[in-house]
Amino acid sequence: MSARKDIREELKGYQEIKKEMEICQKYGRDYRTQRGLKAAIIDRLHPRQLELTVSEIIPENANTKTLRLTASGRALPPFLPGQYISVTVQIDGVRTSRPYSISSSPTQTAYYDITVGRVKDGFVSNYLLDEVKAGDTLITSGPLGNFYYNPLFHGTKLVFLAGGTGITPFMSMIRTFTDQNLDLDLLLLYGCRSVKDALFLQELKERAERHPNFKFELVLSEPDPDDQGRTGLIDANVIKELVDDIGGSTFYICGPSAMQKFCTGQLESLGVRRRSIRREAFTSPNDVFYDPAWPKNVSPDQPVILTVQRPSGETVTIQTQAGEPVLTALEKAGLTIPNACRTGECSLCRIKMTAGEVFQPSTALVRQSDRLLGYIHSCRAYPLTDLTLVIQ
Amino acid sequence: MTDFDVVVIGAGNGGLTAAASLTKAGFKTLLLERHNVPGGCATSFCRGRFEFEVALHQLSGYGQADNPGPLRGFLSQFGIPDRLEFVDMKNLYRLVLPGQLDITLPADREGTTQALVKQFPQDKKAIEGFIDLIYRTFMEHAAVFFQRDPEASAEKYPLMAKYSLQPTEEVMNEYFQNPLIKAALGIYWGYSGVPLSKLPFIDYATLYFAYLHWKPAYIRHGSQALSNALLEYILANGGQARFNCGARKILVEDGRVVGVETEYGDVIKAKAVVSNASSIDTYVELIDEEHVPQEQFKILAGQTVGPSSLTIFVGLDCEPHEVGINDTTNFIISDPDTDKQFASMSRLDTRDDYLLLSCYNLDDPQASPPGTSQVCIVDLKYAEPWLTLSPSEYLQVKFKAADGILQRVEEVFPGFRDHIEEIEVGTPLTHMRYTNSPGGAIYGFDQFAKNSNFFVPPTSPIKGLALAGAWAGPGGFQPSLMSGGSAARAIKRYLEQLGGGK
Repeated sequence: MSARKDIREELKGYQEIKKEMEICQKYGRDYRTQRGLKAAIIDRLHPRQLELTVSEIIPENANTKTLRLTASGRALPPFLPGQYISVTVQIDGVRTSRPYSISSSPTQTAYYDITVGRVKDGFVSNYLLDEVKAGDTLITSGPLGNFYYNPLFHGTKLVFLAGGTGITPFMSMIRTFTDQNLDLDLLLLYGCRSVKDALFLQELKERAERHPNFKFELVLSEPDPDDQGRTGLIDANVIKELVDDIGGSTFYICGPSAMQKFCTGQLESLGVRRRSIRREAFTSPNDVFYDPAWPKNVSPDQPVILTVQRPSGETVTIQTQAGEPVLTALEKAGLTIPNACRTGECSLCRIKMTAGEVFQPSTALVRQSDRLLGYIHSCRAYPLTDLTLVIQ
Repeated sequence: MTDFDVVVIGAGNGGLTAAASLTKAGFKTLLLERHNVPGGCATSFCRGRFEFEVALHQLSGYGQADNPGPLRGFLSQFGIPDRLEFVDMKNLYRLVLPGQLDITLPADREGTTQALVKQFPQDKKAIEGFIDLIYRTFMEHAAVFFQRDPEASAEKYPLMAKYSLQPTEEVMNEYFQNPLIKAALGIYWGYSGVPLSKLPFIDYATLYFAYLHWKPAYIRHGSQALSNALLEYILANGGQARFNCGARKILVEDGRVVGVETEYGDVIKAKAVVSNASSIDTYVELIDEEHVPQEQFKILAGQTVGPSSLTIFVGLDCEPHEVGINDTTNFIISDPDTDKQFASMSRLDTRDDYLLLSCYNLDDPQASPPGTSQVCIVDLKYAEPWLTLSPSEYLQVKFKAADGILQRVEEVFPGFRDHIEEIEVGTPLTHMRYTNSPGGAIYGFDQFAKNSNFFVPPTSPIKGLALAGAWAGPGGFQPSLMSGGSAARAIKRYLEQLGGGK
């Protein structure tokens, strides 16, 4: 304690402010009354996870089912049509997750529908189709993702280019915008192999009849003999013929990687600006081998070894191959790290690589400063060599 | 179970520098962070071909190699100047009040004085006198509180004694009648969130002195690069860090910190804790009430949660000049009166709001891919009205508020909207979600004099606990970064008293 008078007290206005402080302390807010409130507010919108019940399983066609998911004891968070949830499952001791677009409309939040199509050798899709029954519980994330209609700059003319099960985010959009009678012109160009593969066909017809601002057209790549509809691919000619105002429309693409690349090229050839082409990045991890940037001298089955330091300091060695994303290899070895989009965008699966070389496709959105320090987005990082990794 | 000398809760600016300082001092340090990336507000995120800076607009107090500011000195301990590139900004800002005022102030005393005199020639003397007052008052303040003159007195430092705690507006009124001059010289009030009628003159003078004397700076690759570099320093020097691992409790016995319990229920023993969580969370959520003296809740009650922000991140598919953006930092207002600007912070609508639009490409062409621009628009907003929205209303309100802001921006930068390639809107709730700060507050408590360290020292009644970050002092990058140094010094003193070696 200094015997000298505190200089602060000599400042003009000091006593008044001190008095103000004392009054505020006397009559201010007791923050103890708000204990837990912040977490509750955040949880309403962005829960860290949801425990959902499969209330109903709706078969869509031979290879596709819709799982209707409900929550008990809480309201489902709102979402924008086009967003997805990440579903976590445990299969044969391996804990992993996959993103699924919500196909239902957010105008009701009693349930989320996800529509799952069979994927050849699909680890999770086959499990959801064959093993999951009504009444089962699924752990999911809250709604996530950036593939949605953004009224701030997307305009009012929306063209949806769907390939196969890539229809799911568009179903949510079409259901929402027609139910709400929004002043939007909607056109769906739906690419599938044949009519029997087209999902939600009856509903699409009904909505198109009821809502003059919604039109759709099937584009069949391998039609059956009796199929009615346009044949071929969604190319520049189809787009030119069916879209009135190409320059004034926003195009949304969701489908397999090859279809996305093709359609993007077709739109670019028509002079569509980059800002008007929105793509959902969900594609199979195997699509990477068609990426022109994939190094020619590395075979996807080339064996590699991952040396992984866990948060505990313990080191684990994992045998895998160049064609397997690092995240998948970690999961198979029983190491789980947070993840959601599994396309390299959301950055939740970011880990540090201290030695080795990976291939990351351009869809992996890694921060510049992270790149310089060796951080990778493990869901879309392919080990071209042996790697040393640190999970922090 | 591993034991640590210190556990640092939260890898925000203050937590990172606290952990770096403690690691440097040789203490066994563990940094816990609930997210998967370090930085708190000092972070970035990617959309499409853009990487967006989340929070840093104009770094203060860094300076140049031949004119180093206090922040450069502080960060030098961790080798930061050698690892990162800091880019000086040419100007403080451009201020636009459509139809009434459009002025750009260069980032030096002479240039700013000239620009103001050119715009307001009749007030030449007052402008020169007022800027001189900023400098002299700050110098007196620095002599007393930074250099700690043992002979300090009101007589020896008369400007400090007279003006430091006076509201800035009253001091300005001694010099100016014209509300436009006050607006032009006062627009940085938003960097504290306190309007000129309430902003203590010393806070105002410090703000303008720091930017005029050391120039504002931008960090190449954004504030995430700084956060990453601080983490690298911690890890390279023996510190440990655990991500995706929040703290659930600070464990206290007999008035002393004994450890931390993680969100997964693991107990980590530690002699001391630095909390980079808000002081509200630290005392109300993290420590069991029986260990907190009642007086602490009374101190908290006297303080009010400061503003958050409605932030719009925009990637443009054109160069900045194509839409008329020629300055990094642009303020847009609809009324020169800062009380009116402040009042609109409590409303959901955005028609009259005080806006800050930053476009980093002007000072760093690499801020986004060639032929594009990275833009960030900040609209200070209190969280209160956002907290009461129902979840179903929330998304509508968010888009409507952002639309109002874009309309205002379009007035000043025609063609802006037609070039939007990516956009992301963060509301006060978004800030609350990611930073876990009460009210999503970006500067901690309201930066009123009564809430400042001057009246509420950031000391803790619990032994072995120190606080770092905006809630433990002034908000903003420079203060929050430096707060980690102060917290580390307090812990160092405590551990040395405690003895037992490192």
